[in-house]
Amino acid sequence: MALGLRPGQKAADAMALVPDLFTTDHDPEADRAALEALSDWCVRFSPAVAIDGDDGLFLDITGTDHLWGGEAAMLADLLARLKRWGVPARAAVADTPGAAWALARFGARFGEDGEIAPPNGQCALLADLPVAALRLDEAATAQLPRLGLFRIAQLLGLPRAQLARRFGMHLTLRLDQALGAAGEALVFRRPASPWFDRLAFAEPISAPDDLARVVGDVTALICRRLETEGQGARRFEVVFHRLDGKAMPVRAGLARPGRDAKRLTRLLVPKLDVIDPGFGIEVVTVFAGDVEPLTAVQARLDAEAGTGLDETLAPLVDRLINRLGEDRVWRADPHESHVPERSVIRRAPMASPSGQTWDPERSRPVRLFKRPEAITAMAKLPDDPPVQFHWRGRPHRVRRAEGPERIGQEWWRGDFDDTGPGRIRDYYRVEDETGGRFWIFRQGLFGTGDEPKWWLHGLFG
Amino acid sequence: MAVPREARLAALRGQIAALEAGTRTPSPVLAFGDPRIDSCFPAGGLPSGCWHEVMGAGLEDETSAAPAAFAALLTRPLLEAGAVVWIMRRTDLFAPGLAGFGFPTERLIQVKARDEAEVLSVLEDALSTVGVAAAIGEAQAPELKAGRRLQLACEKRGSFGVLLHRRPYGGPVGGARTVSGSSSFSRWRVAGAPSQPPPDVPGLGPPRWRVELERCRGGRSGAWILESSEAEHGPHPFRLVSQLADHDVAAAEPLRKAG
Repeated sequence: MALGLRPGQKAADAMALVPDLFTTDHDPEADRAALEALSDWCVRFSPAVAIDGDDGLFLDITGTDHLWGGEAAMLADLLARLKRWGVPARAAVADTPGAAWALARFGARFGEDGEIAPPNGQCALLADLPVAALRLDEAATAQLPRLGLFRIAQLLGLPRAQLARRFGMHLTLRLDQALGAAGEALVFRRPASPWFDRLAFAEPISAPDDLARVVGDVTALICRRLETEGQGARRFEVVFHRLDGKAMPVRAGLARPGRDAKRLTRLLVPKLDVIDPGFGIEVVTVFAGDVEPLTAVQARLDAEAGTGLDETLAPLVDRLINRLGEDRVWRADPHESHVPERSVIRRAPMASPSGQTWDPERSRPVRLFKRPEAITAMAKLPDDPPVQFHWRGRPHRVRRAEGPERIGQEWWRGDFDDTGPGRIRDYYRVEDETGGRFWIFRQGLFGTGDEPKWWLHGLFG
Repeated sequence: MAVPREARLAALRGQIAALEAGTRTPSPVLAFGDPRIDSCFPAGGLPSGCWHEVMGAGLEDETSAAPAAFAALLTRPLLEAGAVVWIMRRTDLFAPGLAGFGFPTERLIQVKARDEAEVLSVLEDALSTVGVAAAIGEAQAPELKAGRRLQLACEKRGSFGVLLHRRPYGGPVGGARTVSGSSSFSRWRVAGAPSQPPPDVPGLGPPRWRVELERCRGGRSGAWILESSEAEHGPHPFRLVSQLADHDVAAAEPLRKAG
């Protein structure tokens, strides 16, 4: 700026003013990536960071400024770090995003200190700013000065109905957002959560033992806070911030909301081997999500006898889910369907019981193949069970049989053209001479054209 | 004389059992309800705090249907309260089939493991958890060290462990696999047997199995045909249909060699 350059100037003019100017091509993607990296870095200040346009960030610092001892200290720290990184920045703190945006970009004082608007006092500070500070569209921004409206104070003086009629609801909405009368939804990279804590180190750490110990310390901090508020959380995320700005998260989930720091540490520590500390970790932040009220449960002295099934099984289920993944630990619940492969639905093991049961009259096999295996079978009469069948190349002579159990197709689930008598299954429970018990079915009816096919669907014990 | 010798042998056996048990309280035993079976075990039944192996014969080595039914019925009396964890590599266990045996599927937690080592480690974890009454795992051939770890895990909480030998995917049937030593308490081999329906009732009768107790720590081996028994008929899940003559052991004779 001091050299007479301004944004939007032609490169040739700029080079005429400053002969040894360094120019590169404008790379919007790299800029965007850099801005995203910066927003990830800002997570050390607050978990709720939103990207604003091309060159701005919103940070929701509700409840996090106490960690620095006040908003002024936090703002100073943020600006100092950005300056050390070589990122020139202007910042402002206010009640609403609109006011903060306006003060940051158009505030009277920019430079070293940021502007801090006192709570509910942004109106006075905004009054002196130009109308461009309201984030209006281009048409309005061009039109307002032509009508002689240069400052926000003038807009505030006019009756609202006239403004809305003349310039549209957008202007009044922006005014309300700036003054706090209307809400504004920001898209945060992570959801805003007051359950946030951080630990900073004087010396960067990188040894695995230190990382594990730090995980224990930081989870103890957040769990103590949860306990004083009587809450428990289901998702915990510990983020390690490296010296070079990269953030590496480690997550753990619980089946039931909890706040036991030891259990969480045991769940998180095995995941630490993917963390590459680089030159060192200087800040560790933790946040808790899915926070719910949780009453305290007094631990009994005789922990073995009489503890509820939930309390004793929940740690095992958590360990298994965190180690193996949610889709590999389940409880089979009944589902309303006649078709056997759809009559079982998988649920989380700690979910409340459904209360339904399968029909005890229908016998079902212990093992059900995912895909029925084709067999060749011979039956005397159309509705009879087969007399013998061949499976995997071996013959089985049927000694006893039960059935048929007709299971039709769920015609409401498929295409209209897909339904038909060819999809009806007649299940037979057969026992062969050696005592093996099989669940076979015939698909299709005799006499409808296609030859019916026989399949083996499962094995009884 | 025979009688004092018997008494002395019984006393010696009691001393050895006390030494083995150490300071642990005697664990509850799972009896079969029939003296012809229960006499094979040193304590009159299968103790909890140990793990047991169940194998299948022939094609059952891969499909493992009869061993699964046997394991489900065997652990049914233990599951009045407490959860059961079933760890498998192939997810073809069908819960309505287990429910038909009276098995409490609402307390069954199923876990799919990726490989053998994971099955054994999850089994060990489940067995050492309070609240898990029984844990059943499907593995191919656990080695001796893994077996000892399972034993320690069972002893910690007194839970009942069952390991079903199962080859997860296809391969040559009947490949000879010698399992030399193992720290399981008992080893069973289960195969299907033809059922006998009640007279005048068409169809199949209650399922029957040919069950062989191949080895038992401190006990005898034996072979029987067992039939499943409904939960309403009594606490024991099996009904003895017949005892199969085994050439190694004559049932009526008192034991002459150390058991």
